Amino acid sequence: YAEVMLCECYPLKMKLRVQLQCKNLHEYLRELSPDILDRLYNHPATCLAVYRELPALAKNYVMRMLFLDHPLPQAAVALWVKKDCQKDHDRCVSVLTGLRLWHSQQLQGGLQGMVLNPVFKDNLRTALLGGGKTWADEGSGLGPDRHARDVESLDRYAMERWEVILHFMVGSPSAAVSQDLARLLIQAGLMRSEAGEAPCITSAGFQFLLLDTASQLWYITLQYLNTAQSRGMDLVEILSFLFQLSFSTLGRDYSVEGMSESLLTFLQHLREFGLVFQRKRKSRRYYPTRLAITLAAGITANPSSSSSSAVNGTPGTADSGFIVVETNYRVYAYTNSELQIALVALFSEMLYRFPNVVVAQVTRESVQQAIANGITAQQIIHFLRTRAHPVMLKQTPVLPPTITDQIRLWELERDRLQFTEGVLYNQFLSQADFEVLRDRAQGLGVLVWQNAPHRVMVVTPHGHSEVKRFWKRQKSHT
Amino acid sequence: MVNVLKGVLVECDPAMKQFLLYLDETSALGKKFIIQDLDDTHVFILAEVVQILQEKVGELMDQNSFPITQK
Repeated sequence: YAEVMLCECYPLKMKLRVQLQCKNLHEYLRELSPDILDRLYNHPATCLAVYRELPALAKNYVMRMLFLDHPLPQAAVALWVKKDCQKDHDRCVSVLTGLRLWHSQQLQGGLQGMVLNPVFKDNLRTALLGGGKTWADEGSGLGPDRHARDVESLDRYAMERWEVILHFMVGSPSAAVSQDLARLLIQAGLMRSEAGEAPCITSAGFQFLLLDTASQLWYITLQYLNTAQSRGMDLVEILSFLFQLSFSTLGRDYSVEGMSESLLTFLQHLREFGLVFQRKRKSRRYYPTRLAITLAAGITANPSSSSSSAVNGTPGTADSGFIVVETNYRVYAYTNSELQIALVALFSEMLYRFPNVVVAQVTRESVQQAIANGITAQQIIHFLRTRAHPVMLKQTPVLPPTITDQIRLWELERDRLQFTEGVLYNQFLSQADFEVLRDRAQGLGVLVWQNAPHRVMVVTPHGHSEVKRFWKRQKSHT
Repeated sequence: MVNVLKGVLVECDPAMKQFLLYLDETSALGKKFIIQDLDDTHVFILAEVVQILQEKVGELMDQNSFPITQK
């Protein structure tokens, strides 16, 4: 048994591109510790927000049990669905259990029963039937606001604030953000900063820029929550406030009365994101914007559907339909938003610029450059399609197939080789030896590739030691 | 006796494999890097050349492409 070590084990970067991962609300909550979850359910707004995002069947289950004070036998719960819908049932059970919305409890006769989390049950009842403390202090105590804001100006304000952040990411010189926010963007991996230099965008950041506003906001919020505790903030407090905001009324003012110090800091951060409007730092009232209200709503749904249309459809934003793509690879963007132009320039070559339109060309070099920066072909196509000009929307398909196909082909060009790190076994003396070892590797789930006639196989580096041990044992037996 | 070698399994189309064989024969990367030629679409190579190999393939694709658009 000779082992030839040809080279050291290099820490290989097999996956050259990182995909931006965005968890939905449930996935995020499920990873919180049970203690935090239980404290979170102490607030009716949170319970209602969590309930709102449940799958329809799970909502049904919760409703059936909401006004029961005794556990239901598990067998009875299982009868709620037909046999052929067992999969849906299992999924609901795992969602409800994962969120600690219900748990099993021994019945008197010794059977296992299910009962809703009592804290969640009480607070959801309050949320649905009324009662309890008022959620947010409406600014009525302050009297009418002399500088009151209407919905339209709030929308404009929110988009302006948000675009400043995006501008900062693409490196527009005019955009400046606070230290806190810059640090958050770096922690989130969207930007990186060399010592003493201004932060610059990463490949994850490029992908982030091409998302729609709702997804971007949710992503940043998740990152913010993940680092909240290291900032000395109470996660439960700010999460409850966030959910409470999502139930507030657009165009109304709310009072900062009774908010704790860390919540006030949080409010300043929300102000910078454009989630709330506050005229001055010390103002005693704030207005939630549309971004805050849609944040927790519909985020589990497909991010490009409900929530984004609510945000993108806001008047005063140049987000809806301004791009025309022609079959000769030319892109016309009817916009004067610096940000949108910068986004188009991420994957195209700028040709001409006029006051209300820019002309760009999608070329092999420009697309490959974008792909090298971590943007996928799918993201480029999604970007063009979601921002297509109304004229383009009349055609089916919206984008010329030659263009979408070519962009995909340009991406595939880079993927002609697929690398898998592994350990090669060859020069087996007999077919039987080979088959024993191959079957063992297959059984362990570590076989990458095999060729029986040539008696060659490749296993994962991780599985190598186990296969080697097996082989040594095998040898000593014979 | 069984021989054990560490490295990287490459999966690709037959044309690409011929290109890899060519790079290996001409020592274009400064040395031989193919450990074993497995079949039409698989070769087993040294782990250390993966990065530079990607660049070589990029160069080949650059040479093979011509601008399809006019300005």
